[in-house]
Amino acid sequence: MAVATTPEDLAQLMTRVASGERAALRQLYDATSAKLFAVCLRILSDREESEDVLQEVYVTVWRRADRFDASRASVMTWVSTIARNRAIDRLRARGPLAYADQIEDLEIPDGSISAEALLVTAGEEGRLHRCLSELDDRTEKVIRTAFFEGVTYEALARRLDTPLGTVKSWVRRGLAKLKGCLAQ
Amino acid sequence: MSEAPELTDSEAFAAEHALGVLSAAERRQAEARMAAEPEFAVLVDNWRERLIPMADTLASIPAPHALWLRIERSLGANDNAASVKGLRFWRGATVGSLTLAAASLAAAVLLANQPPVVIQPPPAGQLLDASLVSQTGAPVPLFIAAYDPTRKALIVTSLVTPGNDPAHVHELWVIPADGKPRPLGILQPGKTVAMPMPDSLLPSLAAGSALAVSLEPPGGSPKIDAPTGPITAVGKLAKI
Repeated sequence: MAVATTPEDLAQLMTRVASGERAALRQLYDATSAKLFAVCLRILSDREESEDVLQEVYVTVWRRADRFDASRASVMTWVSTIARNRAIDRLRARGPLAYADQIEDLEIPDGSISAEALLVTAGEEGRLHRCLSELDDRTEKVIRTAFFEGVTYEALARRLDTPLGTVKSWVRRGLAKLKGCLAQ
Repeated sequence: MSEAPELTDSEAFAAEHALGVLSAAERRQAEARMAAEPEFAVLVDNWRERLIPMADTLASIPAPHALWLRIERSLGANDNAASVKGLRFWRGATVGSLTLAAASLAAAVLLANQPPVVIQPPPAGQLLDASLVSQTGAPVPLFIAAYDPTRKALIVTSLVTPGNDPAHVHELWVIPADGKPRPLGILQPGKTVAMPMPDSLLPSLAAGSALAVSLEPPGGSPKIDAPTGPITAVGKLAKI
């Protein structure tokens, strides 16, 4: 089956999803679900919960497709943001600091770049990866951990046994540098 | 690029929201700001766009086959499809048949009344937002509106390029559940305006009400209770 892959293909699909075409949602699912499943698994490290979240994500996309605004974000960013937000909500519902301890024995690859991603280093992710690696190691690790594990400043501070204000300033400075690097 | 300039407080907050490090209370605050301040929403969008490529470095993991079946079973009707149909009907109505047109918009409002799936715990008062999309050609957002209950103001951004059509103005309407359009004011192409809402209009600004923009002669619709020109964009207010 041909899978839509370019941002333009996906934007076209969204228009059809918004007008109520189930086949278009199926195509969007085929094109994006494996990526979103990886994102959910990385945050939740639980297959069953990740499947629940993924189901919520596509039902949300179906019902809220009219909210998608191509001038504001790409389809991939939009659906990934929904998936991350839902997964993070789920994670935090487990308890205030349930996510403070890192789970080491993940079957899921960590944030390091995959072979698949290396093939597209010319793209956005390649650029972001290069810019992240220009940060000092500690800042890079903190930003990646925050992104992939959906942890708050508070949980990060506890995990790193570092004052909250310090962690906050590492992240803020790191983000400012990232912005500068990505703008080049 | 050894020392990057610091981010402004607003932008740092937007970036932190996109990254996901904020506490639950701060996240709600960020969502509320996104609704009330288009500039802030753009900052968050831009940061999401910057950071999301990180997710691309994760190797894809196929979801189990049965999941799609589960999803398909839980789809139900797509309320977008229903409102689009209603709006086509509206478009088909001639300018003269205002009653018919108003009725069809009312129908669209009724059909669009289903609650959204994603419901954040609402902050004090009810923030609402709407994206008004074009009614001809591909659906493109032309106006973005957010209702801020603390200021009792509707903040509306026009994404229309200024100077395209000096012979007409864009007039904004709210069509609540009773289906009767109420004029809200004239929008400036390319500008954001904060429109204070009189108390009499507040009940109309509810989730599920439609916002519509019509093309009118300078000064606005000659009729107080109905648009006279074609409807260029429609969206429904939803809780944030």
